[in-house]
Amino acid sequence: MTDTHCPYCSLQCGMTLARQGRRLEVQARAFPVNEGALCRKGWTATGLRGSRERLTTPLVRDRATDEWRAVGWDEALDLVAGRLAALRAEHGPDANAVFGGGGLTNEKAYQLGKLARVALGTRMIDYNGRWCMSSAASANNQAFGVDRGLPFPLADVEQADVVVLVGSNLAETMPPAARHLDRLRERGGKVVVIDPRRTSTADRADLFVQPVPGTDLPLALGLLHLVDAAGAVDEEYVADRTVGFEDARQAAASWWPERVERVTGVSVHQLRELAALMTSSRRVMVLTARGAEQHADGTATVLAWVNLTLALGLPGRPFAGYGCLTGQGNGQGGREHGQKADQLPGYRSIDDPAARAHVAAVWGVDADDLPGKGLSAYELLMALGTDGGPRSLLVLGSNVVVSAPNASRVTERLASLDLLVVADIVMSETAALADVVLPVTQWAEETGTMTNLEGRVILRQQAVTPPEGVRSDLDLITGLAERLGAPSTWSTDPEEVFEELRRASAGGKADYSGIDYARIRAEDGVFWPCPATEGAPHPGTPRLFAHTFLHADGLARFVAVQHEGPAEPVDGEYPVHLTTGRVLAQYQSGAQTRRIKDLPDTGAFVELHPLLALRIGAHDGDPVSVRTRRGVMRAPARVVETIRPDTVFVPFHWVGANRLTSDALDPSSRMPEFKVCAAEVTT
Amino acid sequence: MSTVVVGHGMAAVALVERLVQHGVPDVVVLGEERGAPYNRILLSAVLEGTHRPEAIALRGTSWFREHGIDLRLGTTAVAVHRDEHAVELADGSRVPYDRLVLATGSIPELPPIRGLVDADGRLDDRVHAFRTLADCERLLATLPGAASAIVVGGGLLGLQVARALSIRGLRTELVEVGEHVLRHQVDGQAGAILARSLQKLGTAVYTGVRATRLTPTGLRLDNGYELDADLVVLTAGSRPRTTLARQAGLETRRGIVVDDSLTTSDPDILAVGDCAEHESRTPGLVSPAWEQARVAGDLLAGCPARYSGHRTVARLRATDLDVAVLGDPEKALGEVVQVSNPVTGTHKKLVVDRGVIVAATLVGDLSRVGYITQAFDRGTVLGPAEPGALLMAPRPATPAPLPDDAEVCACAGVSAGRIRACSSIDEVRESTRATTGCGGCLSTCQNLLSPLVKGMTS
Repeated sequence: MTDTHCPYCSLQCGMTLARQGRRLEVQARAFPVNEGALCRKGWTATGLRGSRERLTTPLVRDRATDEWRAVGWDEALDLVAGRLAALRAEHGPDANAVFGGGGLTNEKAYQLGKLARVALGTRMIDYNGRWCMSSAASANNQAFGVDRGLPFPLADVEQADVVVLVGSNLAETMPPAARHLDRLRERGGKVVVIDPRRTSTADRADLFVQPVPGTDLPLALGLLHLVDAAGAVDEEYVADRTVGFEDARQAAASWWPERVERVTGVSVHQLRELAALMTSSRRVMVLTARGAEQHADGTATVLAWVNLTLALGLPGRPFAGYGCLTGQGNGQGGREHGQKADQLPGYRSIDDPAARAHVAAVWGVDADDLPGKGLSAYELLMALGTDGGPRSLLVLGSNVVVSAPNASRVTERLASLDLLVVADIVMSETAALADVVLPVTQWAEETGTMTNLEGRVILRQQAVTPPEGVRSDLDLITGLAERLGAPSTWSTDPEEVFEELRRASAGGKADYSGIDYARIRAEDGVFWPCPATEGAPHPGTPRLFAHTFLHADGLARFVAVQHEGPAEPVDGEYPVHLTTGRVLAQYQSGAQTRRIKDLPDTGAFVELHPLLALRIGAHDGDPVSVRTRRGVMRAPARVVETIRPDTVFVPFHWVGANRLTSDALDPSSRMPEFKVCAAEVTT
Repeated sequence: MSTVVVGHGMAAVALVERLVQHGVPDVVVLGEERGAPYNRILLSAVLEGTHRPEAIALRGTSWFREHGIDLRLGTTAVAVHRDEHAVELADGSRVPYDRLVLATGSIPELPPIRGLVDADGRLDDRVHAFRTLADCERLLATLPGAASAIVVGGGLLGLQVARALSIRGLRTELVEVGEHVLRHQVDGQAGAILARSLQKLGTAVYTGVRATRLTPTGLRLDNGYELDADLVVLTAGSRPRTTLARQAGLETRRGIVVDDSLTTSDPDILAVGDCAEHESRTPGLVSPAWEQARVAGDLLAGCPARYSGHRTVARLRATDLDVAVLGDPEKALGEVVQVSNPVTGTHKKLVVDRGVIVAATLVGDLSRVGYITQAFDRGTVLGPAEPGALLMAPRPATPAPLPDDAEVCACAGVSAGRIRACSSIDEVRESTRATTGCGGCLSTCQNLLSPLVKGMTS
């Protein structure tokens, strides 16, 4: 019996793994986030064990014949390290790039960042978390001076009066979280869901608002306008705890309800209903997710909603405030410890001399030798193989061929590399393009910490022995670092790496220095910041902002934002909005879930409204084509009343959706505009 | 290179914001009203009480200062000397310009009612115009002593003001000279439905009558009747304010004539907003005014831009009166699809040209307004059946018994048949794992179990 957590989303539901003969069985476990509940992804999580598709030997592809050759680990690592060293010698350190993932443990994320900065000396490292919650991260930093997805435990939702979900379909993407909404409603609280689709989350809502994709920002401006009009601004809070209100108010002054209706497609009546609900309740929570965030104005959109919560005096009030529902398993921790292009461990800025000095000292290197800020995820991929761009890429925990926007171009860039190395558990679409594939351990075969959507550091424990021939990512990193003659020490033991991470994070915003494996086991996880102390241990920080925000002056910032609209508006040629998202039974690029036989693999589909189906002559179940300026895909139609008639939806777990999506980037977070672009649908 | 803007209403502020965005230096704004700019179209909301007056303020004076804009409030421009490139102010001083933008807005038209103004040209104390914040404040100040009001004019503003006064507790009557209310926007059928709705809300509506004289107790009408009221509010239309332009010799018709670059007959003078006439149109609505301001701002900053007209959406802002008018439904060419139901007080009309909604009237039922406006604004080409379908009320859902293969628990992937095969909710949980994820299917599962079983387990 091993207590651990689910391998998938940011809830990191608690579960117990029990051996039943050769089988490994998932059992319910009490944990505050899920209280024993799991969705079918969690219940079937052990399904990849023993899969015939599991990679168990390093593979090297012969570019001439396109054939794979099985090699030993030493040969593979020698080959990779040799090529990396040669590329560096010939083209400089930035010739080698690293791409990580929001599913990697804190230890791996930390060690991967260190590999890039210390062993490769490259500034070219980023990760797929850029495509997850980066807009909320940027907005959180600007508004509150810190980026922790939820500033309170998820279960606080139950005690709120009103919860407004902006672009979250949590009942499908993180089903056990919906239980907290149900408790809230049993108490008489209200749930508001804002989504272009009436999802199963919306079915649980007291108020469902269905805006045009890409208009959550003017919707928030319209609400702030009504709050101000009604004289419902918490003047005392605004004066005592914030700065910048007047600019934000002026930005909302020209968003009267009828104008908001015209732009967002949300009726004045509904807008007023929502504003009244928010102004007449005390404990109001606004939670955003990818629907609001994955836009070229995603940061501004989140800021608009944050402004609304600040005007109402919510952040810091018990059971109220703003939060982001992070998506990936370690979306939170993965962005704190150095695999982001601009960051060092502890959520430190790589541009900050003091931060560089601190981390360099922990690593035993000279701060001047640390490279500077690199390119963001999509920009990094687009630079691959270009003049002066990276010539090699090492990918851990990511399947960019499926998950990157404008995926056909990403695939072209990968093909132009001198060397592509992919570490994965199966032959993912990205691994299939690699020169070297390294088979690594999966969840349950290794130990490590994750930081869930609440900022709670939790521990996944090894339950079984990995198959012969696979190694952990930490092994792989150490193997490369040693072959590259890197300074510093490179442990392959997760707990030792965590101990080093603690020291590296000490004094940073995401301070883990007071957290250790024993405490995590004993306390159902520990919330950061949790600094090391001399006397009694720091209790961790389940709730932020009660007394102060984390800017130097302790005040929150209103950041005035304007509505610009999606980068690619619909037009005569591409007349409908395309939006993308997830389905319950699959996870991310599906590399894991599509290989679990107990999870239904329906393939991609195109959801559209009967009015639109009627217009183009489409029938439920028959294939339709979706075309954008970047690509085309064909999949069966799902004709449903629950989507806006001017919008189509395609799930992104299968190859196709992201050949269509837009690569317009948010100026601050560098988030691509996954959630809206202009498309044409035909039969 | 100095840019002088005459006016500081909504078009002027939008223009200045654009100039600031482009970093255009040396901008002077001459504003006649003393206060900082505000959102004029929300005055009726202030009157109704849904907006506090402070909330309609647009940019404060400090914003202009911070961005280096020379804002001169309480300044009246009396003449434009084109030969000298200077604007003359009421105090005789002159403001030189290289480029001049006229954003002088519009002024209310006074209906020909005898006795409205005294010998000095001042409005009678009981009579109110409704164009400026000062007008609104003056009217609000008199409300406590008033029990009844007459609104002259049944246009958008008249209806809004009538509703507002009624909500404020005044007995309100409305007089419209045309055959029906909103005569510039909608047809007689819609007007009649709207008048009935207004009457149901407590405001009497008299159409086809002209007020002829202010009497000591109210208004005399041309049909011989006399209405008593403590207050008279005039909302009988407005016209572009063109005096300055006309006296300067610029081409004016109803408004100041401008081309696609918002330029008047003098290449150094532009006009935007309510005062401007583009392709014989003076819409008097804020969205075209803002679009013009954006284009003018771009052009003044040296960026290419062109104003090619604008789709207008007029929305009535008054509690319990639902009206949206898209484009010009009485003049637009196309096929008309309409559903009119006086019983429910709804009138919906789409004018469709080759599949595109080119105009629409929606009265009493705005449930589809968000989508119809999107299709109108974007020129979406609809299928032949869509306009009709859009005007139909959504069908009420009829719950059907779940077939055995219907998925009940998405979290665990369990069908209704498998739930029906269980004997208790505990068995459901153990053997199918339904209800163990998000928990949303619990009541459905309970209903699928036989009534006997339910009784035993609940």
